[in-house]
Amino acid sequence: MNTGAYRAAVASFVVAIAGGLVAAVGYATDHTEKMLGLGLAAAAAGIGIGLVSWARYLDLSEHVVQEREVLAVTPEQHREIDEEADLTRQTLGRRPLLVWLSGISFASLLAGFVGPIGSLGPKPRGERARTSWRPGSRLVTPDGQPIDGKAGPNDQLVTVFPLGHVGVDDSQVVLVRVDPDLLAPETASKSVNGWVAYSKICTHAGCSVGLFGVDNRPPDVIRQLVCPCHQSAFDPLDGARPVGGPAPRSLPQLPLGLDDQGFLVSTADFDRPVGPIAWNEA
Amino acid sequence: MTERRGAVQRYVEHVLGRVGGGSAVGKALRKVFPTHFSFLWGELALYSFLLLLITGTYLTFFYEGSQTEIVYAGSYDPLRGVRVSAAYDSVLRLSFDVKGGLLIRQMHHWAALVFVGAIALHLARIFFTGAFRRPRDINWVVGVTLLLLSLAAGFTGYSLPDDLLSGTGLRITNAIILAIPFVGERLTYLLFGGEWPGGDIIGRLYPVHILFIPAAIVGLLGVHLGLVWRQKHTQFPGPGRTERNVVGEAVWPAFALKSVGLMFVVIGVITALGALFEVNAVWLYGPYDAAGATSYSQPDWYIGFLEGSVRLFPPWETRVFGFVINNLVYSGIAVTGVVFGGLLLTPWIDRRLTGDHGVHHLLYRPRDEPGRTASGAAAIAFVGVLFLGGAQDIIAGTLDVPIRTVTHLLQAAALLGPPATWFATYRICRSLAARPGADGSERTETIVRDAGGGYRTAAITVTTIGAAEPAPPADEPDGEGGP
Repeated sequence: MNTGAYRAAVASFVVAIAGGLVAAVGYATDHTEKMLGLGLAAAAAGIGIGLVSWARYLDLSEHVVQEREVLAVTPEQHREIDEEADLTRQTLGRRPLLVWLSGISFASLLAGFVGPIGSLGPKPRGERARTSWRPGSRLVTPDGQPIDGKAGPNDQLVTVFPLGHVGVDDSQVVLVRVDPDLLAPETASKSVNGWVAYSKICTHAGCSVGLFGVDNRPPDVIRQLVCPCHQSAFDPLDGARPVGGPAPRSLPQLPLGLDDQGFLVSTADFDRPVGPIAWNEA
Repeated sequence: MTERRGAVQRYVEHVLGRVGGGSAVGKALRKVFPTHFSFLWGELALYSFLLLLITGTYLTFFYEGSQTEIVYAGSYDPLRGVRVSAAYDSVLRLSFDVKGGLLIRQMHHWAALVFVGAIALHLARIFFTGAFRRPRDINWVVGVTLLLLSLAAGFTGYSLPDDLLSGTGLRITNAIILAIPFVGERLTYLLFGGEWPGGDIIGRLYPVHILFIPAAIVGLLGVHLGLVWRQKHTQFPGPGRTERNVVGEAVWPAFALKSVGLMFVVIGVITALGALFEVNAVWLYGPYDAAGATSYSQPDWYIGFLEGSVRLFPPWETRVFGFVINNLVYSGIAVTGVVFGGLLLTPWIDRRLTGDHGVHHLLYRPRDEPGRTASGAAAIAFVGVLFLGGAQDIIAGTLDVPIRTVTHLLQAAALLGPPATWFATYRICRSLAARPGADGSERTETIVRDAGGGYRTAAITVTTIGAAEPAPPADEPDGEGGP
């Protein structure tokens, strides 16, 4: 007999017993990750290897031959099925009106249940066409700080929300300040002192465009807003038009102004839906 | 009664004496299962699913499926005082404040990764050996449905902690659904309870994850295994093995000992993974935050191909009559549809292309069916390139190459890789098939008489230990059981 497999089985079951005890001690002594886990692992794997070794010791690799049943439909069964179908036609099928009415009534019953499905969520009523930005909304950082529109470091990304609406998803905005001379004319018309603001929601799949990079390597300095999810890149100097990756549309720009205290405010809401769009929002 | 009988015997007889079916029990215990290492993947999936049910049940005792905002006050210092959802809070609690909770949570996550992986390997085995052909085409459909359900289970489970990474995944899902023509916007409102982020999605994914999907998996698994039991297992050709029999081990005790042994080994390995390797450390990602997103954010591996598809697809939008077909319709929906539609229809596509309508219980070696094997390899190449695309930022960062370059290379690979793989695989199969087998068996031309009475040559493996009868070739219907 295969004494090696026998010894392996004995050793495995002993390890399994020890493993369970180790796990119990691990739990009792608050070693709940490694000691508990490895104890349980040893117990389970020990049982498993023990059983397989036991099977190997018994040398059960037998070659039993079993005949397959034929799965085909016999001519007799074929005839029986036909007979049942005929019977159905002759009984239920005798009144076609009842067949149709019963079928339509089942469909009607199902249709009656469609209503409650509608309660799962409200009907869209144009929420996607507007955000919390209003003319004169002050730009504030997530901890509520307003932005001084007259100064500030160039080439740094700040995430801002409208005052009173911090954390509202569709109103998140990326704000960067660049040298005003670099801005494309149309982009510049919505900017103030080199500050430009864009919706932070990627037009591709809706992630937050959280990265701003400046590539100083010659010949040109390249500035890009990048979405970390799918690597869409946008040009902040030119209306955040897409310059790489899967995003098909530019990020909507938020028109900026200054309030009487010199802080940045919006002068209007975005002029189109932010983020990914539905089929009828082209 | 002179003989003393054991408790189990007496108990079994008690039950059988009341419900009947005594002969079925004996028959079941003597049922034959062929053995081959590749037949174990399905069992591996089954046993990791069992572990998922057990660990998952434990987790439900602590998890709370709610997006209500609260201030975290648990024992993980860096997040104390941060506003988080009740769901995220409960995951941190069960990770840090429930004794042994983290271990069970990590086991659950690891088991999910192993579960889907085992299903993928099982699927590959079934395809590359021809076990999807008639009469098992019906079970192929059940199996692919189970794969879809397991992906749904994985994705919903991944989303439940409501951390930054999974919240971003839900954000992308919302965008993909929004892009569906006609119904997209309404559908997102129904699913999420309003405009993103809504307030209902976590609470809704919870019953879907712990009730609907597992119930569907259990039900279909019953059908899947019932069909295997009824149709009996396939087997590789070999001495004494024909289309009309099954050669292997009886269920009791040989097969049962080894299979139950495998179950415990699987549980042991997953427990060790959970104990040693941190997985989905949601406390490092932080709670979901509208304006937050991180670099190098990858989903669990089985969603990787979809992530890659969404990353690699060019920024194309189609405008028709003032309406727009977003590129997510192609990258998120069409590509997924093609991959899984192709999988579901594989038996029918195969029948159309090969003209093989026959009933098969004997498997083929992948090399003996170069066309089929090459097609499978091409499909894997396509999904594989998409999978790499899901990590294109990591590849670019690691190799210090611009992301744009990596993206363009992978886009080219997605188009050219599958045909190249097809031709390479086809040639490799042809050259392998011409060579003698590793076990010293020779490949010879053998004359076979088929069911119709005709004669033809067939390439089969004849082993040196006296083959009882040549197996019918796998590529022709043998007439038995067929129409």
